[in-house]
Amino acid sequence: MNKFSKFLVALAAGLAVFVAAWFFMQAGHYGSVSAHAENSPVAAAAPAPGGAPIDSSKCILPTEYMRAHHMQVLNKWRHDSVREGNRTYVNPQGEHFDKSLNTCLGCHGSNPMFCFMCHEFANVKPTCWDCHLSPMEVPQ
Amino acid sequence: MSQNRREFLKKAGLGALAGLGAAAGLFPAFALEQTDMSNFTDKPVPGKVRWGMLIDTRKCLGNCTECIVRCHHDHNVPDFGKSKNEVKWIWKSGYENAFPTASTQFQNPEVLERQVLTLCNHCAEPPCTKACPTEATFKRWDGIVSIDYHRCIGCRFCMAACPYGSRSFNWLDPRPNIKELSTAYPTRMRGVVEKCNFCSERLVKNELPACVESCPEKALIFGDLNKPDSEIRKLLAANETMQRKPELGTLPSVFYII
Repeated sequence: MNKFSKFLVALAAGLAVFVAAWFFMQAGHYGSVSAHAENSPVAAAAPAPGGAPIDSSKCILPTEYMRAHHMQVLNKWRHDSVREGNRTYVNPQGEHFDKSLNTCLGCHGSNPMFCFMCHEFANVKPTCWDCHLSPMEVPQ
Repeated sequence: MSQNRREFLKKAGLGALAGLGAAAGLFPAFALEQTDMSNFTDKPVPGKVRWGMLIDTRKCLGNCTECIVRCHHDHNVPDFGKSKNEVKWIWKSGYENAFPTASTQFQNPEVLERQVLTLCNHCAEPPCTKACPTEATFKRWDGIVSIDYHRCIGCRFCMAACPYGSRSFNWLDPRPNIKELSTAYPTRMRGVVEKCNFCSERLVKNELPACVESCPEKALIFGDLNKPDSEIRKLLAANETMQRKPELGTLPSVFYII
């Protein structure tokens, strides 16, 4: 085996490593559920915010998704609106929402027990209501 | 085949690099640098807007505290009853306390006795944000020095860094000490620093800050300092104005007509 063919073998091995790594990353990118909210390709194709009015009459994402991921959504919304000034959320259907806890409480606040029933059952103690007014404190 | 480990790794690395280059050319939507452009559509441009305030101390006289009451109510600022624990967003200081480095020699005695309205200066070069170890306080894209109360750990470095005493610490739980709970803004929790936020929650709704709106004498003018034709810029050009402790180089965004 001459020097050149040895070089070719090593090159092929490197390419194989690269292709494997690439497919691994692709799988990680589209395989996870949490990628739904931020990286949905439908959201990217939606019209630019500012065109349509902000619609807060229905839920931003399916109930199943919100039940499992509302904390990630709220964390991202807080970061975007407080630190980056990007206040408009566009869901996969192209509907616009204000990135605010008040968007959620606009509907869910009508049930004073909405947050508490689940949190009580799951035995989680989020610190939201140390500062934010909970549905139990807001006059109906 | 005499190939040692080092040589093999060198060539394999070269191969991976070549593959990377070829792939970048072959696939236009390459996965390694994917950017969701929808996130950038309505992102504000930093430095384009710089909110500022002009306080006309000639009109702000007497014992009027309308703006203070309104601000402290709207933002759920607690009243602990003791000056030791005092939390304040906007308050009145004596002239010599507000402008301790301004010359007072043979100054008009009426001016010296004035109570000057003081609040966070929302400096263009804020020393407080540089002191914060958690980046809980930061300068926003529109010049407002903001606090992320979620991230504040209560170390009070920012309070030591602020040369204007604009920041207060919640030594106790503020909730039981708020007389009338307002739904316009959240409260704070024990152990965080708080201060004026230039009513950023009202600015997003296209409303003026609560203090400006509530002033019966229209002594407070709010506007964009970066816009040459704004009302505040015209008044700044037409009047002799002062900033608090300008020699510190913090470039306050709050100006005073004396």
